[in-house]
Amino acid sequence: MSDAPTESRPAGYLDLSKAVLYREYLIFVRYPANAAGGLVFSIVFFALLFYGGRMLAGQALTDSIEGIVVGYFLWTLSVGAYSSISNDIGSEVQWGTLERHIMTPFGFAPVALLKGVAKVVRTFLISSVILGIMLVITGTSLQLNLLTTVVVAVLSITSVLGLGFAAGGISVLYKRIGNWLNLLQFGFIVLISAPAFDLGWTRFLPLAQGSALLQRAMIDGTRLWEFPLVDLLVLVGTAVGYLGLGYLLFQRATRRARRLGVLGDY
Amino acid sequence: MTSDQYAAATRSPTDTDVERPADRSAEPAAIAVEGLSKRFGSDDDAVTAVDDVSLRIEPGSVVGLLGPNGAGKTTTIKSILGMVLPDAGTVRIQGIDVAENPRQAYAHVDAMLEGARNDYWRLTVRENLRYFATIGGVAPDSVADRHDRLLDQFDLAAKADEPVRNLSRGMKQKVSLASVLASDADVVFLDEPTLGLDVESSLTLRRELRRIVEERGLTAVISSHDMDVIEAVCDRVIIMNDGRIVADDTVTNLRQGFETSAFRLTSPDLDADTLSAVRQRFDVTDATAREGTTTVEVATDSDGFYDLTALLRERDVTLASVATVEPDLEEVFVELTGERDPRHNGGDPR
Repeated sequence: MSDAPTESRPAGYLDLSKAVLYREYLIFVRYPANAAGGLVFSIVFFALLFYGGRMLAGQALTDSIEGIVVGYFLWTLSVGAYSSISNDIGSEVQWGTLERHIMTPFGFAPVALLKGVAKVVRTFLISSVILGIMLVITGTSLQLNLLTTVVVAVLSITSVLGLGFAAGGISVLYKRIGNWLNLLQFGFIVLISAPAFDLGWTRFLPLAQGSALLQRAMIDGTRLWEFPLVDLLVLVGTAVGYLGLGYLLFQRATRRARRLGVLGDY
Repeated sequence: MTSDQYAAATRSPTDTDVERPADRSAEPAAIAVEGLSKRFGSDDDAVTAVDDVSLRIEPGSVVGLLGPNGAGKTTTIKSILGMVLPDAGTVRIQGIDVAENPRQAYAHVDAMLEGARNDYWRLTVRENLRYFATIGGVAPDSVADRHDRLLDQFDLAAKADEPVRNLSRGMKQKVSLASVLASDADVVFLDEPTLGLDVESSLTLRRELRRIVEERGLTAVISSHDMDVIEAVCDRVIIMNDGRIVADDTVTNLRQGFETSAFRLTSPDLDADTLSAVRQRFDVTDATAREGTTTVEVATDSDGFYDLTALLRERDVTLASVATVEPDLEEVFVELTGERDPRHNGGDPR
């Protein structure tokens, strides 16, 4: 059987997009236990938080329950996006596939970006289920304008993707420190509850501006076009800025790993 | 013969007697490396992994890279691929500078660097081939026939839709190799391609690898501890030691370069007294007696051989057979590096 006469067609970015997104889809549908486990854990954790808090704080918690639901929704989104990116990079190093991605005509950047998109969509789907269950548990209702919620939430967690890339870069250099980097997820709680509009500078932290806008959108019913332009620009700026900075750090870490000869080591 | 003596007695790597198709003489080298150096660590702890390595590999060549642990094989391969940034030197693949235009250069290259863990175990065999063909720059539907052939050639057709994680180690190794061959890469680097395979699978893989390389005109660099694989598959062998190339030639030339002019004689009436006389005048490297026949290996040149036969004739010794002793690649390797068979060593850290 001859192997010679195959007339191949060059792959473009559309082919690459299909391949990466299809791979992410296959892993999502073929191994649902991971997603289901995360979903159950998140709901149980929230239920403990809600019922435990109501026993301790009573009416005070009930008065602020909408803010807690929105904050928790954003936290599950953020944790999902961050851990999937940082853990994914660690896994690629472990499997030896990071080197293969770097050694391609496309490079790792578009693959990483596409994976980021897939992770965000996946995380959004899971977090939406969690949100629905939280609303049932708490008996709360929110103003859910789909366009506003999706745009603000996606821009909010884009900055977290940047943190995920930075953490992935640290994993490439120092290996096996994923558990330590996962502790950063608890820092997201601080960022989500940061008083973005009271203290001017905190709005430039990852998640802070997005959290504040999402609270307004989901609790007060503010629509996307009703936000002041400056607030939206800060949201977009922090999203793009942290994503760019995170990816830059990842690339610098990868380059240093190549200089030290530890890129493929695990 | 030491490596220095060998180097003095043979020509430089760029004009070795590697068989090259005449119509390819005008093409750029598939791989051209000049002055490649890499040190790890600093000051007193610094280790020179690759020391001023230069080589040129012509398109369509299959080159084996041999060396003891720590010789610099993997660092050399990874430096060529840009996965380790060298301290000095240039690398061109199909005439494209890897440091300056990596994306263009990588359109020609794929590599199996980590053995079995080189693909996605959660995907099926076929999904892996399609995925790696795509990121390698080829639309997967356009090479579906090629993927079918690869599955047949590596005995993976029955497992094509099975997730890789469910396969045996040997099959995972084959999937890894097939995924490297799934795209249009015309230069492939294979690090230990037969590691973990049973004898039969290893033989199949050697045969199919050689066939695929020839049919597609691939250039392949194979690093292996298995000298039988290197000898069976490669046109040319580069032997490294202490970060340097100590030999670069065809398998045939390497063997000839290390011809020890040894002769193996068997005789039904070679007694102990005669053997003692032979030992006094010649370098007897081996002597065994079995079922009334004595076999003696004597290292000597042709003049010495005539003296030896004269001595035996004087003592009325009958010779049943006389043969020259050919060194194999393993003996060449031991001579050049001072190491035993590298398979007897531990893991290769670099």
